[in-house]
Amino acid sequence: MAQNELKNQIRRLRFENGEMTQEQLADKAGVTRQTIIAIEAGKYAPSLPLAFRIARTFGVPIERVFEYENNET
Amino acid sequence: MTKKEEAWVGLFLGVPILVIPSVVAVFIAYDKGLSFAPLLMFTGTVIWGGLLWLLPYIQRKFRKDEKVIMFDERDQLIHKRAVMVSYVALWFYFVAACVITWCIVGPNGSISVNVMPLTLVGGLVLFNCVQGLAALIQYGRGAKDGAK
Repeated sequence: MAQNELKNQIRRLRFENGEMTQEQLADKAGVTRQTIIAIEAGKYAPSLPLAFRIARTFGVPIERVFEYENNET
Repeated sequence: MTKKEEAWVGLFLGVPILVIPSVVAVFIAYDKGLSFAPLLMFTGTVIWGGLLWLLPYIQRKFRKDEKVIMFDERDQLIHKRAVMVSYVALWFYFVAACVITWCIVGPNGSISVNVMPLTLVGGLVLFNCVQGLAALIQYGRGAKDGAK
């Protein structure tokens, strides 16, 4: 059975960017803080436009923020 | 007010708002035998329900200057799923209502016309309840609040 997982580096990137809070990131990405919390915890996979907005907020390419893992078991 | 809070409000405030006029109307209909009771019940439910659904729009109208994001794609997805679940529940409810009535009354029996608006009100209450619960369950599946 294939298990797909979207991993992210948001937490690390926030701290690398002057300890940015979830609230600040949410405001810049145009979403609620709860959505950032859910994405960070891997509970919610963001849409492509939102993923790009988050990456743009950090000034990095999208693949540095999100990593797709396909584990076939 | 976040969407999660709105779901709680919908569940605990919305349901009594729909239930109370309905219960009062049911009481009038069955105990006093007034003929206008079903109409009163239906009108009351529509008015109260309509007012409840207007609240968020009124709230937004007075908060135009604020640029706080209250609703995003995740809320939209949760809302869409919650509505879908409640629609399925509503469908099962109506099927059950029809079948159970038929089983109880029988093919040659008859029921009061008051049952029809009552079934409708029951459906509205169920829809609201299931939607609120489904939204809360989906919000609960997310990460814990406050995790920095």
